[in-house]
Amino acid sequence: MNRRESDRPALTRRSLVGAGIGAMAAAPVALAQGNPPSSGPTQPGALTSAPVTQAGLGPRLTMHAIDNYHGTPGAGMTCDLSIREGDAYRPIKTVVTAANGRTAEPLLLEDALKVGHYELLMHFEDYFAKTGAPLPSPNFLSLVPVRFVIRDASQRYHLPVLFTPWGYSYYRGS
Amino acid sequence: MAGITTHVLDADRGRPAPGVRIDFSVMEGGAWRLVKSVVTNGDGRTDKPILPGDEAKAGQYQLEFHIDAYLKAKPGVTDADIFVDNPVVRFSIFDAKQHYHVPMLCTPGNCTTYRGS
Repeated sequence: MNRRESDRPALTRRSLVGAGIGAMAAAPVALAQGNPPSSGPTQPGALTSAPVTQAGLGPRLTMHAIDNYHGTPGAGMTCDLSIREGDAYRPIKTVVTAANGRTAEPLLLEDALKVGHYELLMHFEDYFAKTGAPLPSPNFLSLVPVRFVIRDASQRYHLPVLFTPWGYSYYRGS
Repeated sequence: MAGITTHVLDADRGRPAPGVRIDFSVMEGGAWRLVKSVVTNGDGRTDKPILPGDEAKAGQYQLEFHIDAYLKAKPGVTDADIFVDNPVVRFSIFDAKQHYHVPMLCTPGNCTTYRGS
């Protein structure tokens, strides 16, 4: 799919910050809302949405699922967020990624962001089953635990996950 | 060759990661059962396959890579740098006659895994 000129992001977080606008409380509001959650697309997310800034610049955890098999955002991916307590992980919330592969709201925002060991359990097999990708049964990757550490609750954490049916990569993004 | 093998690579330095403990578990009756813990050798691999081919069965398996201790021992790496400490990889053997090579590429801020060969 060719990206049309009109699809290109007119404003990104970097351009806002670079222009000194990002620090203004009102400016990011218009960009704060991602696409509404999808109830489960039969096709991967289309490349029609611009990058977004979510809910200002305060501490938060955000994620971005990127489908490197189809070359699209990972739309409609169910993800279970939990935090380690003792030897077990306590569920915090379950989210479904929107058409742009992100969640409509940050996973954790402001005071909800706490120091700790986290797991984002991503439902790869369900996702690829919906897209019609050819998979073995059971798939090589089904419920994928993405584990990471938040050490400073005053920072912003972005968690991109690049995935295919046969592998994945994740990192601390920005 | 069937079974499960791995290879831990320090993608920050472009070298194997020796001395990394790996806990290998299998899903049994709805719970993970630890089968064994192994440590990577100088080549970032294990001396023997994690699961020998003649013991391979279809099922769910887990590798927990204790990267944290390895990273902390590296010069110039502080706790604050480590975003991915002990990644866990869960995967299926869907055909016990096939070989499952599951590498782990790590840096303090990133990890990558995939079905290799």
